[in-house]
Amino acid sequence: MLSVSEMLKMRDKLRKWREENYRNSEQIVDVGEELLNEHASKLGDDIWIIYEQVMIAALDCSRDDLAWTFRFDAILNDANKLYDSILQDDPTNTAARKRKISILRAQGKSSEAIRELNEYLEQFVGDQEAWHELSELYINEHDYAKAAFCLEELMMTNPHNHLYCEQYAEVKYTQGGLENLELARKYFAQALKLNNRNMRALFGLYMSASHIAASPKVSAKVKKDNMKYGAWAASQISRAYQMAGRGKKENKCSVKAVEEMLESMQITMS
Amino acid sequence: MGEVELSCLAYAKMYLHASQFPRCSVNGLLLSSSPAGAAVCITDCVPLLHSHLSLAPITQLALTQVDAWCSQTQQRIVGYYQANACVSDSSPTPCALKIAEKIFEQCNNAVLLMIDGEKMFPGCRVPPIVMYERKDARWTLKDKHTIMLRQWEETCSIVNQLFSSGDQTLLVDFDSHLDDITKDWTNQKLNAKIMELISPANGNV
Repeated sequence: MLSVSEMLKMRDKLRKWREENYRNSEQIVDVGEELLNEHASKLGDDIWIIYEQVMIAALDCSRDDLAWTFRFDAILNDANKLYDSILQDDPTNTAARKRKISILRAQGKSSEAIRELNEYLEQFVGDQEAWHELSELYINEHDYAKAAFCLEELMMTNPHNHLYCEQYAEVKYTQGGLENLELARKYFAQALKLNNRNMRALFGLYMSASHIAASPKVSAKVKKDNMKYGAWAASQISRAYQMAGRGKKENKCSVKAVEEMLESMQITMS
Repeated sequence: MGEVELSCLAYAKMYLHASQFPRCSVNGLLLSSSPAGAAVCITDCVPLLHSHLSLAPITQLALTQVDAWCSQTQQRIVGYYQANACVSDSSPTPCALKIAEKIFEQCNNAVLLMIDGEKMFPGCRVPPIVMYERKDARWTLKDKHTIMLRQWEETCSIVNQLFSSGDQTLLVDFDSHLDDITKDWTNQKLNAKIMELISPANGNV
């Protein structure tokens, strides 16, 4: 039997794994099972989220089960009914509402999920998790303009979060065109300022600067500036890979691939 | 269109990749170390992403780096694979078609392979894959009889062994590499483990 403080620690661990999307299914089952068996009454509203988390993890582990996809669907439907009944009793239960939207997403019903999430956000405009979920949904649907809008909301309320900056930059880069590329480069740079070890931002800066410099539509000054940014990014990338490759035989291949890529892009830029 | 042969190594890594991120869409590139000809021999694969598959920068980056690595190792990119997050839908997404199109520009018998999540349970007797080829400017379903997976039983057994030994966690995709650049997206270590399991069987797998 766990003490109350141990139980709280376990519950927090499960929350951390949920939020950070850890795939440690076996651990989740171990921790979650004990929590649900011994302490269900003390978990409050969290119980439904934990229940779902543990069931999904258990499915991931139970590889001996033949038709796991059918069970998964059945469990989703059961979970949906559960959440419906919760919302009947308590229509303000935001956790249940969001879990229903996650179920829609898992079932591939993206447009419904998007619609529900938009409605939800009209009421709960400060819900970061929901804004991020919506941006992911829009990205999957190739609606980059709306994804950018969601990320702009997130950047406004979380100006120090390098991941939002970097994702925003990626969306802008994907939208394409000179103006978007310049925005992308600025936001990749911003992400790097916030976290100078964000490799995606570093590569993103390198690629956007290189593409701008290679464009026939830019002035000589813009070309020169972007070549400078690109060269700086390239040297940072090189350095990072040299350090990563030190003494490790196994990533020699990735190091060599990066070096060749940097060389070949140098040629196209000049 | 010609035959396509899928090696045990390529199949195992694709399967591991899809299993490692069961709730995400994943994708990767199919490689061949055989010379270009009528038949396509998929001898290896590189797992690429498990997030934001449709965003351009990282995909472009990955394609460039894999290209560079291929020219260093006498391999060619001959196809693309994807497993959708929603297991009940194994049809190619616009992003899959776009990347496959790009690969087709360089390789005229490129294949597009979708992993069928619904068939990915142990004991399933049918390979969980659906292949497409480019015919008349469209990607169409490939005739199942032109797809060869030599020694299917052994391949399944090797995949099971990887799971029971815990070696499936060795798989690194390009996304994971970007999170930690000391990780090797060419998967030399895992490749060696798989080749060890293959060698008792006779011939090429």
